[in-house]
Order: sequence, then C-alpha cells, then structure tokens
Amino acid sequence: MANQPAASNCAVERQRIGEIDVLLVAGVVDMLTAPQLEEAIAAAGKESPRGVIVDLSAVDFLASAGMGILVAARDELPPSVHFAVVADGPATSRPLKLVGIADIVGLHATLDEALAALTA
Amino acid sequence: MSPSGKPCTSTQFARIDAVADPQSAAQIRREFSDWLGRHFTLDATKVSDVVLAVNEAVANAAEYAYVPAEQPGAMHVLADYDGTAATLTVTVTDEGAWRNVDPATTELSRGRGIPLMRALSDHAIVDSSDAGTRVCLQWNRVTAARARA
Repeated sequence: MANQPAASNCAVERQRIGEIDVLLVAGVVDMLTAPQLEEAIAAAGKESPRGVIVDLSAVDFLASAGMGILVAARDELPPSVHFAVVADGPATSRPLKLVGIADIVGLHATLDEALAALTA
Repeated sequence: MSPSGKPCTSTQFARIDAVADPQSAAQIRREFSDWLGRHFTLDATKVSDVVLAVNEAVANAAEYAYVPAEQPGAMHVLADYDGTAATLTVTVTDEGAWRNVDPATTELSRGRGIPLMRALSDHAIVDSSDAGTRVCLQWNRVTAARARA
C-alpha cells in the first residue's frame, strides 16, 4: 500500500457490542473506498444483529459516494435491523446534515448516544 | 511538492488534462487540499466545505463525463485566488456528457453531488452543453496565509 499514494485509505473494523454490530470506519470514504463500507454493512447485516451502527468518528473525508452508501444501507438491511450513524465534525456530520441525510438515517454525535438509541 | 509541468503558485492551482477517472479524482483532491492548507488560513469548516465541493465536481467528471466512451477522457481543474476581492474560484471542466439526471427517477442514494456543491460554496454554476460540462465554484472572504510575497 505504501507504494500506492494514489489510493484512498479507508479501514473498517467490526466490533460486536451486545446485540449491536458496530463498524468503526477510519480514513477516507470516497468513490474509491465506498464499496468497502458497502460490503462491511452487508456482512454485518447477515449476522442478524439487533442493529448496525456505522461510526464515522475517525473519518476525515466523506464524499457523496459514501453518503449514498449510508442511505442505501437503510434499504438493504433487513427491516428488523436498526441502523444508525455516528458522526461529528465539519467533514462528516456537517455535509450529512446539509443534504438532508440526517433526516433519513439516525445521526448521533457519539457512539454512546447511538448505542443508547438502538438499545432503548 | 508539485511535479514539474503542473503550474502551482500561491494564487493558482492547476491540473490540466488529468485523466477523468476515480484514482485521478482522489489524487487531485489530495493535492488541492495540500495547496489549500499551505496557502490560506481557513477554519476547519471552510476547509472541509471547499475540499468536499471540489471533490464532488471532480468526482462527477470522473464518474459521468465519459460514460458512453470506452476510455476516460480529460478533465481540467483550475483554482484561482483573487487577493483583492478575497475570492477563491475553482473551475472543473470536462469534454464529456454528464448523464442526464432526472430528479424523479434518481435513486435515493445518488445524485447528491450537485446539491452538495451548491450548499458548500458561496456561488456554484453547473453549465452543461454538447461540448462538455463546466462547474464553477466560488468562495468569498478567503484569506491568504501570508502577506504579499
């Protein structure tokens, strides 16, 4: 990877917290890396968790390609699986709010808030 | 930082005849972001806004401009800073044809590039013709990092 400066770096780590699958995303979510996030969400949904949370706290760039994945996730996950997004900051929660995605998917400033909302 | 043949000064950033594909779009975004950070004093929100809006313009060219063509064509990115007016103007052009997007049939998960560009800039113009597409984004009250050299 060190020899590919042109590639965008994105890491998705999956964590199970109780009945919730948490996807900790770090780095860049753009048109190159959005498929990684899409696959991770689909994989998490197959484990029939009570909910899936995408935590973008460590994301420093989020493009519309990534926002589209978040919106599509709501439709692609089984209806019984709750879905929420964690984001806070000018690179993530601000554009999500500007284009109205915060009105479509549950957006929380912290993982604790999202977990509380999904386990309530 | 800037490889030769790519004019880049404190008031201008240019990538002419770049390949309109996703790899090159990501690279231009990074280089533009570096240029912005080096030459201007902007708060974190404005930096994010400018970089995301420019990314969306470049990504649209990379994703849509040459969809009917077998090979991706060229795109051109030019950022110009006017110190007197304190405005930053970024123009992204291609010679392709953006897919006609009908809002009524657009999937919920797509089509946010242009709304984002409008929301994130002070002034946005998207001008499509048979000859290609030109996106012009402008920000006011942009201050340079240093006094005049």
